[in-house]
Amino acid sequence: MIPWTEKYRPKSLSELVGNEDAKKKFIAWLNAFLKGKAHKKAALLYGPPGSGKTSLVHAVASQFGWELIELNASDFRSREAIERRVYGAATMGSLYGKRKIILIDEVDGINAREDAGAIPAILKLIEKTRYPVVLTANDPWDPKLKPLRDACEVIEFKKLKKREVMKVLSEICRREGIECDRSILSAIADNAKGDLRAAINDLQTLAMGKKRINLADLNILGSRAEQASMFDIVRTVLTARKPEQALAVTRLPSLDYEMLLLWLSENIPYQYAGSYRAIADAYEALSWADIMLARMKRKQIWQLLPYALELMTAGVASARDKPPYRFVRYSFPQRLRMLARTKSSREKFREVASMVARSLHISVSTLRTEVVPFLRVIYENDPDMAKRIYRSLGLSKKEFEILIGA
Amino acid sequence: MSTELWVEKYRPKTLDEIIDQEEIVSRLKEFVRTKSMPHLLFAGPPGTGKTTAALALAHDLYGENWRENTLELNASDERGIDVIRKRIKEYARTIPLGEVPFKLVILDEADNMTSDAQQALRRTMELYSRTTRFILIANYMSKIIEPIQSRCAIFRFQPLPKEAVKARLRWIAEQEGVEIDDEALEAIWEESQGDMRRAINILQSAAAIRKKVDVDTVYEALGKVRPREVKEMLELAVKGDILGAREKLRALMYSYGLSGIDVIKLLHREVLSSRSPLRLNGLPLADLLVLIGDANYKIVEGADDEIQLMAIISKIALLSSEAKSSGAARK
Repeated sequence: MIPWTEKYRPKSLSELVGNEDAKKKFIAWLNAFLKGKAHKKAALLYGPPGSGKTSLVHAVASQFGWELIELNASDFRSREAIERRVYGAATMGSLYGKRKIILIDEVDGINAREDAGAIPAILKLIEKTRYPVVLTANDPWDPKLKPLRDACEVIEFKKLKKREVMKVLSEICRREGIECDRSILSAIADNAKGDLRAAINDLQTLAMGKKRINLADLNILGSRAEQASMFDIVRTVLTARKPEQALAVTRLPSLDYEMLLLWLSENIPYQYAGSYRAIADAYEALSWADIMLARMKRKQIWQLLPYALELMTAGVASARDKPPYRFVRYSFPQRLRMLARTKSSREKFREVASMVARSLHISVSTLRTEVVPFLRVIYENDPDMAKRIYRSLGLSKKEFEILIGA
Repeated sequence: MSTELWVEKYRPKTLDEIIDQEEIVSRLKEFVRTKSMPHLLFAGPPGTGKTTAALALAHDLYGENWRENTLELNASDERGIDVIRKRIKEYARTIPLGEVPFKLVILDEADNMTSDAQQALRRTMELYSRTTRFILIANYMSKIIEPIQSRCAIFRFQPLPKEAVKARLRWIAEQEGVEIDDEALEAIWEESQGDMRRAINILQSAAAIRKKVDVDTVYEALGKVRPREVKEMLELAVKGDILGAREKLRALMYSYGLSGIDVIKLLHREVLSSRSPLRLNGLPLADLLVLIGDANYKIVEGADDEIQLMAIISKIALLSSEAKSSGAARK
């Protein structure tokens, strides 16, 4: 099965959607190169994944019938490999006088150790080449790429706009003969967040073996979208109709399960509002997930991880009496915000409290629960007595107020 | 300078000043006389004079420069056994001053240490046993591992008897020029039982409200002592307002800075009070104690205080909604 991202790669500049400015700049540079007037013999196209960098080079090559010589991240890209595979082609004329274009994809993926000498080799290639050389990168500001940046015409690509992504998706649907509602295309485009490659992959996944894509099919999209956002992972878990659906998120390779725990804890009361049974069940499962994680970390028993992950997904999703599905706008874990906001005041408290605890021969915890509440009553009712107390403890008024949280 | 917090101001400084726990005190005095003693383990409920006895013993052993010969540690505050070991090591390196041939390490709240940490502590005790004596202080002896128990002379501190507590309170009130009647003393006793620290704290906060303390003053003070948030949190949970309860919980934890265990302790006290919103709602006390005890265990075992406490809150909301609907059905 051919990936649609290859099958529908643009064959001409007009087929390539979006990034009009980048396209214009690139063509201008190419024209200058062909006339021998370019200041730089290479171009560096940079921007987020799926924004059309590689496709632009493919489109040019196929539109003008140029030979495309390509070296991408899956190739071994040491100095020798670059010299062997590209250098000759770039410096020698073609047999039939055919023009060429050299593409070295994802140069920010060049590994300093494994691809030893690659960057000097590329610089040498740019110096000697007779044909245009194009490099691509997601992040061009990596210090190791500085010499390349200096040798290249640098062209920025931006994320594609949602309507541009949808335009491509609906064109593909038309050519594949697939029926698909605009709202679904819109959801796919939302998930993809400007990454056309991701969107096309999702569309192909959904369309697998079907002629019509339904709203319900979007659920299986979970697995991709979740990588992009915690919102989607939380939604998958909290709106799963069966525990197995929630379980799917545990297979995400980069799942930040500790963060997920906080997100679920934050949002359970919203999604399950109206059913005390469901909320209590969900928290029960979550509390056990938390304990499994704690045991795992404390005792280094890594076999416990699956239980923790299952409890926080399938376990939560198996809550009884869940209310019917409704759309809920999920919230970022507020406590992270509160903790950040109160950090300095907690530190100040801790400082004062540990001094006072020491002079009272008690722990900070005992001070907080057994003494501070009384101090508060004294402060509110007899300021003079409070003053005598904090002075005798060697505290300023301000420190005393920090201690009692006044 | 002595502090104006009465618990500290009226803490006995010498063994002679300790009026209760006679048997324990007389044996401690024997250690002072002979200038020799084994490691000691003081066990008993809060406010029964364990720390006071340890400090008074140190004072009587070394006189006015007892502080130089005494290392006070609180297991709840030190960051782990490694820190404790390091501090003991540094401290035990020097030779004791004066004629007592050993230095003292007072380790308070020792029962808050994990058993692994206690094993490490046991080795440390052995390592420095030539030059130091340990006084371990714990609420629950059963939480101290046996190898440590077997190395210590064990002293069990009993809750102070009612008459002793009342006499002490009356005497403190006299010193402070506060009038207090017997009914008020009874009320303080009811609330503190044999916990002298709590009793004195209640007395002082009542005296802050009025110099003439009667039973109403005591209840007024007690009403103000409990963080409003705990009670409000429970009331909201009982009403089924889980989000509201969470807001209160977060205020307690992130503004007041209480730990999960602190909140559990307050919850525990709250459900035992007959005026608690939970009890009023007809929830069986046994169920509540199981809930709170279970959460306490999980917080010790688990990692995330807020999640564990939200589990209780949501269960209280569930229980009370069930109690309400079954109550309605009965009617």
